[in-house]
Amino acid sequence: MSTLTQDTVSPAPASPIDKPNTMRAVKDKLATVAVYTAFLIAVIPLVWILYTVISKGAGALLNPEWWTNSQRGITARTVGGGAYHAIIGTLIQAAITAVIAVPIGVFTAIYLVEYGRGKLARAVSFMVDILTGVPSIVAALFIYTLWVTTFGFERVAFAVCLALVLLMIPVVVRSTEEMLKLVPNELREASYALGVPKWKTIMKVVLPTAFSGIVTGVLLGLARVMGETAPLLILGPPSKAINMNPFEGFMAALPTMINGERDQVVQAAYDRYWGAALTLIILVMALNIAGRLISRFNKVSR
Amino acid sequence: MKLPKHVALTSVALAGALALTACGSDNNSGEGDTGSDTGSSVSGTLNGEGSSAQKNAIDEAIASFSANNPDATVNYNATGSGDGVKNFIAKQVDFAGSDSALKDEAVDGVVETDQAAERCAGNPAWNLPLVAGPIAIAYNLPGVEGLTLDPTVLSEVMLGKIKNWNDPKIAALNEGVELPSTAISVFFRSDESGTTDNFQKYLSGSAPEAWTAEPSKVWPGTAGEGRTKSDGVAQGVKNVEGGITYVEWSYATDNQLGVAQIDNGAGAVELTGESAGKALAAAEVAGEGNDLKLSLDYATKEAGTYPIVMVTYEIVCSKGLDADKTTLVKSFLKHFASDETQGTLEEAGFAPIPAEIATKVNTAIDAIS
Repeated sequence: MSTLTQDTVSPAPASPIDKPNTMRAVKDKLATVAVYTAFLIAVIPLVWILYTVISKGAGALLNPEWWTNSQRGITARTVGGGAYHAIIGTLIQAAITAVIAVPIGVFTAIYLVEYGRGKLARAVSFMVDILTGVPSIVAALFIYTLWVTTFGFERVAFAVCLALVLLMIPVVVRSTEEMLKLVPNELREASYALGVPKWKTIMKVVLPTAFSGIVTGVLLGLARVMGETAPLLILGPPSKAINMNPFEGFMAALPTMINGERDQVVQAAYDRYWGAALTLIILVMALNIAGRLISRFNKVSR
Repeated sequence: MKLPKHVALTSVALAGALALTACGSDNNSGEGDTGSDTGSSVSGTLNGEGSSAQKNAIDEAIASFSANNPDATVNYNATGSGDGVKNFIAKQVDFAGSDSALKDEAVDGVVETDQAAERCAGNPAWNLPLVAGPIAIAYNLPGVEGLTLDPTVLSEVMLGKIKNWNDPKIAALNEGVELPSTAISVFFRSDESGTTDNFQKYLSGSAPEAWTAEPSKVWPGTAGEGRTKSDGVAQGVKNVEGGITYVEWSYATDNQLGVAQIDNGAGAVELTGESAGKALAAAEVAGEGNDLKLSLDYATKEAGTYPIVMVTYEIVCSKGLDADKTTLVKSFLKHFASDETQGTLEEAGFAPIPAEIATKVNTAIDAIS
C-alpha cells in the first residue's frame, strides 16, 4: 500500500505555478459571472417590487392626513382619509404579540441551551421545528376553533395576536438559541469560578452578551408577523375607524386594509391600497433598522 | 452598565408610540369635531358582515351615518352572503347583509330561519330589503352602443349556443346596428355568488325553455371563462373584445363597459335607476308581517321596466339585542332607508328602493325592540 502511494506521488508533477493555467482563469471568470448574474436576478424582483410600490403608493403617503386620520366615513370612491387606524392596529397587534411571544420564546431558548438535556429537550426542540412549519392559515384556524367555536367569544384583535404568537414563538426560539450558543463558554466558566450561581450567570452574563442578537431576532420575528394576513382574514374583521381596544370590536390592520380595497377599480381605492402596502413596507423596514441600531449601540458599549 | 441604555431606548420607543396614539383622528368630514347637525346622535359600535354586492351601497350609508353621528361606528365586512349569515347566526356580528333572504326550508337538516331565531333569543330575524342593485349585462364591442338582448337570446349567448356577435338571432333584435363578426367570449363568476343566483333566477323566470338549470349560487354553464368576484369578470370583459358578462351595475360603469338593453317583450329598456326601480316597485312581499322578503316578477312585460334586479337584505333580530345595540341598529337602518341616503345610491350604481317598500321597511325598523 505504502509503496503504491509513494509511487504515484513521487514523480513530481509539472508545477501549475510554472506556466499560467488558462482553464483556471476561465473557470474563475465563469464563476464570477455566474455569481454576479445570480445576484442580479435576485435583486431584480426586489427593486421591481420597491419601484412599483413606491411609484404607486407614494402619492397617498405625501398627504399628511394619511398619518393622522382614519378611513371612517370614507367610501371606496371618495378620496381622502388616512391609514392611521390601520397603522395603529398593526402596531398594537404586533406589540401584544411580542409581549406574549418574546418571554416564552426567550425562556424556551434559555432552557434548550443552558438546561435542556435528554428526552425533554429533544422533544421541545422537535416541537419548535414543527411549529416553524405550521402555515399561518393553520395557526389562525386553530385559534378560531379555540376562541370562537369552543369558547364562543367574538372575533377580536386579541385572538389575532394569539395566532401570531404561534407564528412568532419558533422564530424567537431559534434566533435566541443561536445567539446563546454563540456566547463563549469561557464567560460562563469564569462566572461559575467566581461562585456566581447559574441563574445569575444567565441573567448577568449570558443574556447581556447575546442581547443585541436576541433583539435582532425579535424584531425580525415581529417584521414577519406584521405582514401576516391569514390570521387577520379569519380572526380580525377590519374596521374603518380607530379602535384601540384589542378585546372588543373590529380592529383595522394594514394587510386587511390592502385586502379590503383590492377588488375596487376606482382610483381613490387604488391609491389607498398601494399606499397601505408602502406603509407596511416602511414599518417593517423601520423595525429592521431599529434592530440594527440597537445592536450597534450595544456593541459600542461593550 | 448596559441596562440603563436599554431602558432609555425602550422608553424612547414607548414615548414615540404614545405620541402616535395621541394624534389620530376619526373625523374625515372636514368640519369641526361637532359635526352633528341632527342633535340626536347615537354612539357605540355596530358590526355587520355579508354580501359584497351591497358593499358600495352600505359604505355610502355608513359614510353619511358616521358624519351625522361622530361617536358611532358601523363596520361592514364584505365577505359574501354565506359567511355573513353564518357569522350572524354565530353571534359574531350584529347584522348580516345577504343577497338572498333567510331560507325557511331545511338545507342539510338545518333551517336558517330557526337558527336565526335562536340567535335572537327566540325572536324571529327579519329580512329588510335596503339595497336594490340592477345586474348589468356588460359587453365589450367597440362601436356598438345600446345593444339589445332578450332573455332567450341572452340565455343562449351565456350558454355558448350563440357563438358570434353577428348571429342572426342577435341581429334580429338589433335592427340598424352593425354587428361585427367577433366571437363571443362569455365570462362568468367562478366563485359562489348571489349575483349568479339572481341572474339565473331572472333567466329561468323569463325564459324557462332556454334556461333549464335550477338557479343557484354556482354558474352551471361550461362555455367561456370563470373569474372570481365582480371585479374579475368586469376586468375580463374589459380586456377581451367580444366579451360579455353579468355584473353589478357599478362595476360595469366603473370599467366603462357597454351595458345591454333588455327586451322582455315590451321593447328594449335601458338600465337606469328609474327603470330598475320600476321592477322593484312591482315586487311583492313574500314574508310575513315585518319580514319583508321580496319576490320579483322577472318575466314582467311592463313597459320601461328593467327586469334584472337583485335585492339585497339586511338581516336583523326583531328583538333580543341589548338596548344600546338596538338603538344603534334602528338608528342606522332608519338612516339607510331614508330617502336622502337611498337617493345617493344611484351614483354608486344602485337603484333606490321604491317608496312603497321603503314605508314598509320603516314600519319594520320602528317595530324592532
